[in-house]
Amino acid sequence: MLAEDYMGVAAFAVIAILFPALVFLLSRYLRPDKKDPRGATTYECGEVPIGHAQIQFHFQYYMYAILFVAFDLVTVFVLMWAFVFADLSDMAKFSMLAFLGILLVGVVYALKKEEIIWI
Amino acid sequence: MNLFQFCNGIIVWLVELVNNLWYWLGDVLPWYFGDFFTGIGDFAGSHGHIVVMTIVLESLMVIIVALINVLNFIWLDRKLSGRIFDFYGPYYVGYRIGGWLQNLADGMKLFVKEIIVPAKADKLGFLLAPVIFVGSSFLILATIPLSPNFGIATNESGEFVTAGVLFAFAAFAIAPFSILLAGWSSNNKFTLIGGMRSAAQMMSYEIPLLLTVASVVLLAGSFSFVGIVDAQHDIWFAIPLFIGLVVFLVCIAAEVEVTPFDLPEAEAELVEGWTTEYSGMRFGLFMMTSYLRGYAGGALATALFLGGWQGPSLIPDEIWFLIKAYTVFVVIEWMRWSLPRVRVDQILELGWKRLLPLAVLNLLIAATFKTMGWFSG
Repeated sequence: MLAEDYMGVAAFAVIAILFPALVFLLSRYLRPDKKDPRGATTYECGEVPIGHAQIQFHFQYYMYAILFVAFDLVTVFVLMWAFVFADLSDMAKFSMLAFLGILLVGVVYALKKEEIIWI
Repeated sequence: MNLFQFCNGIIVWLVELVNNLWYWLGDVLPWYFGDFFTGIGDFAGSHGHIVVMTIVLESLMVIIVALINVLNFIWLDRKLSGRIFDFYGPYYVGYRIGGWLQNLADGMKLFVKEIIVPAKADKLGFLLAPVIFVGSSFLILATIPLSPNFGIATNESGEFVTAGVLFAFAAFAIAPFSILLAGWSSNNKFTLIGGMRSAAQMMSYEIPLLLTVASVVLLAGSFSFVGIVDAQHDIWFAIPLFIGLVVFLVCIAAEVEVTPFDLPEAEAELVEGWTTEYSGMRFGLFMMTSYLRGYAGGALATALFLGGWQGPSLIPDEIWFLIKAYTVFVVIEWMRWSLPRVRVDQILELGWKRLLPLAVLNLLIAATFKTMGWFSG
């Protein structure tokens, strides 16, 4: 039943993945291929790069990650809640709003505490 | 006649045509070859295979329509930027049709360019990132119908999947992963910073985006595009949920990375952001896909807020849908060419401190309307 409905999407997914692969394959036979070690250096505006780029990178991530994970889960709940909204009791509607309110307070607290969340 | 029936007709006709050859060969050849070719004919003519081939043809048609729209979008974008910045834009290639062929010429040029893989790069990740990015961006279109008749269905009734909106946004959300992969595997400082910025920006704008989608789902009471568009028969959701539309457009602009939010590829700071090391067709597909995502964003905004394919029946449904999607795209492009770039710290502040409360407010407005009983859905 479900598998039958979603077979179109599955076929589309296969084609979507095959499309870039086929384009790259086709381009392989049309393009020139002159390997030059100077061409394969990392681009840094003409300078020779110092060190690798795959390093431990200071990314002020901690607060950001917590906020994101919390809210991404919330959006899943909210979507489900919105879908069945018409059939819910008033209690269920209000408890979801209270849940959202508590989370907003949490976000305000986190942003106040962290002050800077840039990347 | 819907798309499934149309494609089914073509496939049945083709299979019968080719089966004539197989069965003729089966008659003429000696028994062991003959049985083989008759077997091929029976295999191709069975019901299941015809349905599968029909679905593949449907997918190809949806992809071709999307690609033609993408060509139009790139042309429109260049012409519009020309108008706004007071230069001509493309006009030489395809002079009679306003330089429309310039995109094809650029595509051909990128197609025959050499692909350079940096010596220090992680080869597998470097190759996989564009495949995932392009594939997942095409996947957004799998469930977006242009009209009740033009979309991917699996049987004669032409019904689409029921959770189309969820699927489209799930496919929309795969991109940050491939962008991070591209940025990391290139082993270049510019791409690393660009990828990190892009992932952070896309993820933080996803939340207000999904909350506005939740408000639309709340009013319509359905996850399918057909249900949501039908619910807008009396009034477009853009009117009761105006705040939602604004939040949605800003978030789509940020997800597609057009200029006020194009920090991940800020030319002045990061050369070309996370695509710096990509060349040839790999870069070309990245470029094309960013416009494809613009098209998908415009189509989503149309279906969710602007009444989808509804309009006076002088013009076919599909054309109505495309007109609205193009309008949304033009508004985004207008924003793109007139606003300066947002600063790094401001972009997350805008997302978390302005758009998130607005999205929640929009959800409350939707809940109020629904509770008042104005949208029975």
